[in-house]
Amino acid sequence: MIQVLFFGAAADRAGTRETELQVENGTTLAEIWPLLVERYPDLGPMRDTLAFAVNNEYARGEAPVSPGDEVAVLPPVSGG
Amino acid sequence: MFAIVDGPIDVGALISGAQWPDCGAIATFVGTTRVDKSEGMSVEYLEYEAYRPMADRKLEEIGAEIEEGWDVRHVSIVHRLGRVDPGEASVAIVVAAPRRGPAFEASRHAIERIKEIVPIWKREVWSDGYVWVGSQVGTREPASGER
Repeated sequence: MIQVLFFGAAADRAGTRETELQVENGTTLAEIWPLLVERYPDLGPMRDTLAFAVNNEYARGEAPVSPGDEVAVLPPVSGG
Repeated sequence: MFAIVDGPIDVGALISGAQWPDCGAIATFVGTTRVDKSEGMSVEYLEYEAYRPMADRKLEEIGAEIEEGWDVRHVSIVHRLGRVDPGEASVAIVVAAPRRGPAFEASRHAIERIKEIVPIWKREVWSDGYVWVGSQVGTREPASGER
């Protein structure tokens, strides 16, 4: 399992702040996205605005995700 | 000092902590909640959330960028989470340097980078709903002339 965290507008759209997904070794971040949209369809339209983190660091689509990892779905940041 | 806090930021204490005999300048930037108004509605407060500990680490990264890029001796960045009422500080940046140029530039760099890389989000809570800044997602009907 991996833990998936949602923040800000993404948490709103998903209707939750976290979920778990079953993934196999060798899965990439890009492959997780369709699984999330299947579970939370309202996330779909946000895709182009989102960034992702794996284990607390920004990661691109080709990044590997393994069981035990923490993936975060990050809308455009707006601190300050 | 880099910190993410839940309560008010003591800006005076941050400035006091930046007074060093080898420095001739302290530049301070304080971001505060502004009451925007639109078509009879107004912002009542801002509410911030963060992805931690990633956000804490990104603040430290910004501190490292400043140490590499400018001749400064002291950097403090404190960001507040939760509800921040009008006029209150959501972020404070204090940079001490031997000379004013690097102090000004480094404090500017810090706030711009916070807005680029630190996983912190704010929503504006208006009298008629809220909106996540940057995503335009929320419960508020966009007023004509916005977006």
